Amino acid sequence: MKEMIKIVLGLCVTCITAACIMGVTFIFTSDPKKKNEHINFEKNMFNVLGYNENRSIPADLKLYSIFRYIIIQGDNQYLGYAVPVGEKDSSGYDLLQVDTNGNFVDHKHLDIKPEKVMEEGDRTSAIKAAVGGAATVTYADMFFVAKVENKRSAFLLPAETIGFKTTIGFMLALDPLYNVIGVEILEHEEDPGLGAEIEQEYFKNQFQGKSFEKVKSIVVIKQPIPDDYLKFLEKKKWRQGEYSEQEIKAMQQKYQDSDINAITGATISSVALTNGIKVAVKKFVYRVKVLDTIIMNKQIAVAF
Amino acid sequence: MAIQQKTNKEIFLNGIFNENPIFRLALSMCPAVAITTNLLNGILMGVSVIFVQICANSTIALLKDYIHPRVRLPIYSLTLATYVTVIDLILSAYFPVAYGALGLFIKLIVVFTFITMRLDVFARKNTVFPTFLDAMGMGLGFLWGMMVIGGVRELLGSGTLLGYDILGFKPMLFFVLPASGFFIIGFMMAIFNYTERIYKEKQSKRRIPA
Repeated sequence: MKEMIKIVLGLCVTCITAACIMGVTFIFTSDPKKKNEHINFEKNMFNVLGYNENRSIPADLKLYSIFRYIIIQGDNQYLGYAVPVGEKDSSGYDLLQVDTNGNFVDHKHLDIKPEKVMEEGDRTSAIKAAVGGAATVTYADMFFVAKVENKRSAFLLPAETIGFKTTIGFMLALDPLYNVIGVEILEHEEDPGLGAEIEQEYFKNQFQGKSFEKVKSIVVIKQPIPDDYLKFLEKKKWRQGEYSEQEIKAMQQKYQDSDINAITGATISSVALTNGIKVAVKKFVYRVKVLDTIIMNKQIAVAF
Repeated sequence: MAIQQKTNKEIFLNGIFNENPIFRLALSMCPAVAITTNLLNGILMGVSVIFVQICANSTIALLKDYIHPRVRLPIYSLTLATYVTVIDLILSAYFPVAYGALGLFIKLIVVFTFITMRLDVFARKNTVFPTFLDAMGMGLGFLWGMMVIGGVRELLGSGTLLGYDILGFKPMLFFVLPASGFFIIGFMMAIFNYTERIYKEKQSKRRIPA
């Protein structure tokens, strides 16, 4: 009996000490960690649009964020889109309520300051106040619309998919006709040397320039990448002026309709990311079409 | 004093040759085979292991009198998990660049058999300083094992070393695949056994005339 108590006490003390150490570290590191993630997110946003050291960000590039919520009122389920409205940046957000068939239900103004809209707590409570007391409001996802010279230049959508072990977070950029501009991996825990290769340019750049029609039916094939394509994909290894504008266009055209070549030894991760992108694009295009139709029919003065 | 130093040296070298975790004990084969597709991965994994091994070994050596022998294994796991989590959090918060390179490897360390094995076999029975040396030796043994496997696989599989083109062509694509890790480990084990046999034969020959 005495021994049992000793063992139980010993284990308890060890667990509590370990928990305390981890907890204290978490408290001290969570803020800088969030900041790093935010910086990383922003960097990836510009990367995926193709802006880097060689191609600077245009001065009039504007990003508008649209948030999607699921609203449950009694037995009815609705989608709520929080969209920026007005010509100037500082004019505020409106809520568009849409039913599950894509029909317009309601249009309300959100009582929230534009600089607070990125804070999830403030945003959710503003939407709750606008919808009315009895509804449950759950945040689903968001996307960005990039505008250059007052024209839509790209959609940016952060998305997730199930990888080999845990989720793979990635960021997709689509042009206004829903063709893929680029893909960046935000976070993943695939195995180094195998699944982690999804981060490499030779894999993720294969998605660049794929048309919406192609992405809808894209599959992974277990074949090595042709040598000329491999050289073209690894853009960071290019020498100055390695490819001229025409050559880049010609290469993109040549492999426009090819499927995705799997990573050697990591077929599951390759398929997971490819399917994730396929599903994310399909869903996004459906939603954005519904949203655009409503905005056009109801003549809402959205900013994007 | 001289004897003490010699034993310390032996403890240190033990992990590197006599009881090399990969080639002699054949432990932690999963990471050794899965990760070593290139030299850099091998080095990063090895460095992370050395660090965690030293921390965990020293802690257990310090606290060994307070650990009840019946629940020692859960406590080892807890110690390792705590270190790994703390290092993971600190790296991700304050050293994002290093975390980008090491993050994936650190999370894998919790399940390394030979670290737990060293805690049970060595740290539990020794004081802090020899334990530190043992951890250092074991870690370095693991590191050089990973470097050999990673180097051979990268050179033969993709014709490069640390990303720099060495051969200019890809001799055998097979070496990129996980199965080739076993071939290299088997080959290294054979070399170890062969050298040991030669060494013993030489020693016995020397003894007979004397």
